[in-house]
Amino acid sequence: MLDTLTAKPVPGAVVLSWTGVVRYLHITPRAFLPMREMPELTLIAGKGIEGDRYMIGREEGFYSHKPEEGRQVTLFEYETLVALKRDHNIDLAPEEHRRNVTVSGVPLTHLVGRQFWLGETLLESTRLSIPCRHIEEITGKAIFDPLINRSGLNCKILQGGTVRVGDAVRNVQ
Amino acid sequence: MSAVPITKVRTIVDKIEDGGAGIKVFSLVDPDHWELPPFKPGAHIDLHLPGGLVRTYSLCNDPADDKRYVVAVKREVEGRGGSIVLHDEVKVGDTIGVMLPRGGLDLSTEVTRFTFVGGGIGVTPFLSAAAWLKRMGRSKFTLHMIARGEPPLADLLAPLRKSGHVVIHDTSSGQRPDIAALVGRPLSDVALACCGPDSMIDDFEQASRDWPADRVHIERFVPPPLPVDPDAKPYVLALAKSKREIVVAAGQTMLSALTDIGIDVPASCCGGICGSCKVDWLEGQPVHRDRVLSPAERERSLLVCVAGSAKDRLVLDL
Repeated sequence: MLDTLTAKPVPGAVVLSWTGVVRYLHITPRAFLPMREMPELTLIAGKGIEGDRYMIGREEGFYSHKPEEGRQVTLFEYETLVALKRDHNIDLAPEEHRRNVTVSGVPLTHLVGRQFWLGETLLESTRLSIPCRHIEEITGKAIFDPLINRSGLNCKILQGGTVRVGDAVRNVQ
Repeated sequence: MSAVPITKVRTIVDKIEDGGAGIKVFSLVDPDHWELPPFKPGAHIDLHLPGGLVRTYSLCNDPADDKRYVVAVKREVEGRGGSIVLHDEVKVGDTIGVMLPRGGLDLSTEVTRFTFVGGGIGVTPFLSAAAWLKRMGRSKFTLHMIARGEPPLADLLAPLRKSGHVVIHDTSSGQRPDIAALVGRPLSDVALACCGPDSMIDDFEQASRDWPADRVHIERFVPPPLPVDPDAKPYVLALAKSKREIVVAAGQTMLSALTDIGIDVPASCCGGICGSCKVDWLEGQPVHRDRVLSPAERERSLLVCVAGSAKDRLVLDL
C-alpha cells in the first residue's frame, strides 16, 4: 500500500512540487457577518488572524464553542469556485465560502498533516475543512453536497507574519 | 470561550427615532459597524427581546444600506407585548440578538410594474422595496399608503413622496379606499403586494383573486389562528440526528412536543408565516399548513409550529 506520510524519496526519482498564489484574503469579526475582503492579513503564531472571529481571545465564531488549533487560519481553493460553476452552475464568490485565504495552484487536499509557506508565514494543516449547513443558511445556496471533500483546509500557524494578496504559497522542501 | 453555539447576530441599538403615530424607528448595527448579513427588499428579522420575547419585524431600509437593520415598531397596547418592551425598555446602546433576515418581495425583472398597498405601519416592507427599486432605476411602482390623518414615518416616506411614488389615502375623513380599484385587473407585467390589518388584507385577497398567485404577495401582522382539526391523531416524531422518538399528541403542535423534551427550535410567529422554525424532514408525509414555503421547499422542509403528519410516523432532520 502506498504510504505517502512515511515513504522516503528515492534518490534520482522525480520530485513532485507545486507553487501557488494567494488570490483573496477575508476575515469577519463575528459569526454570521459577511466576510470582508482585505489586502493583507496579520497572522499570529498559535493564535489566529488579527480581527477574525476565531482569533484566540475573541472566540466569536460559529464553532468557537468547539475550539481547535486548525481554526487559526483556513484556506480554500479558487479552483473549487470554478468547479462549482462548471459542474453545478453555482456562482459562489470568494467571500461566500467563509475561509480566510483563497489560493490558486495549491493542492490543499494533499497537505493534511504537512507544513507549507503562506507568504512569510509557516502553517501546518490539521485536517480538511468540512462543509456545514450553516453556510447554506448564510448564502442561501445549495452548496453542502458539492463542497464535500473540497471545502478547504484547516491550519494552525507555526510562524506568524503578514500575508498579502499575490504572495506565493510554497511547499516546505 | 463561549460554552454554547452562537445562534444570533449580535446588534447594538444605535439610534431610536420618533416615527409619529406611536411609532419608534430603531436602527440596529454591529458593535464594530461591520456589514450585517444581507437581506432582500422587504425582508423581515426576528428580534430577541429582553424577557425572552421573540418578535418579527419588516426591515424598512434599502438592502444596499448594509450596516444597519432599520425596523419601525408601533406601540400596541393590545398587542402581544413585544412592541411595549421595545418602546418602554429598550434604549440606545442596548444589545439585541437577531436571527438572519428571511423572506422578502420577489422583485424579479420579469415584472416591470409594482402596486404596493400598505395600511399604517404595514407600509414598512414597501419602504425597503421602494428604496431598492429606485436605486436600481426601476421607477414604475406605486405605493398606496392608507392611514388615518398624516401618515407616519414621514422621514422614510419623504423621498418617495418627492419622486411621486406615493399615493396617500387618508381614512380620517371617510372610509378606506376601494382596494379593488387600487388593484385593478390582472396585467402581465404587474405584481401586487399588501401589508396591513387583517380586514384590509381580506379585501386585498378578494380583490386579487383573479391574479396569478406568484404575482401577489401578502404580509400579515399576526398569524391567523390555526383551524381546529377534529380528525387530528397522535403520531410518532422521530429525530434522526439525536436518535430520539416522541409522541405528538392529537392537536399538539410539533413545536410544543419538541420544546417539551428540551429541543430548542427557534420559533417566532408560531403561526406558519415567519419561517423561523423551518426544519428539514426526511421520511413520512407532512401536512404543511404554513403560508410561506414553496412547493419545492415543502419537498424538503416544514415549519414545526403548524405542520402535522398524515401518517403514523414522521422523521425530522434534528
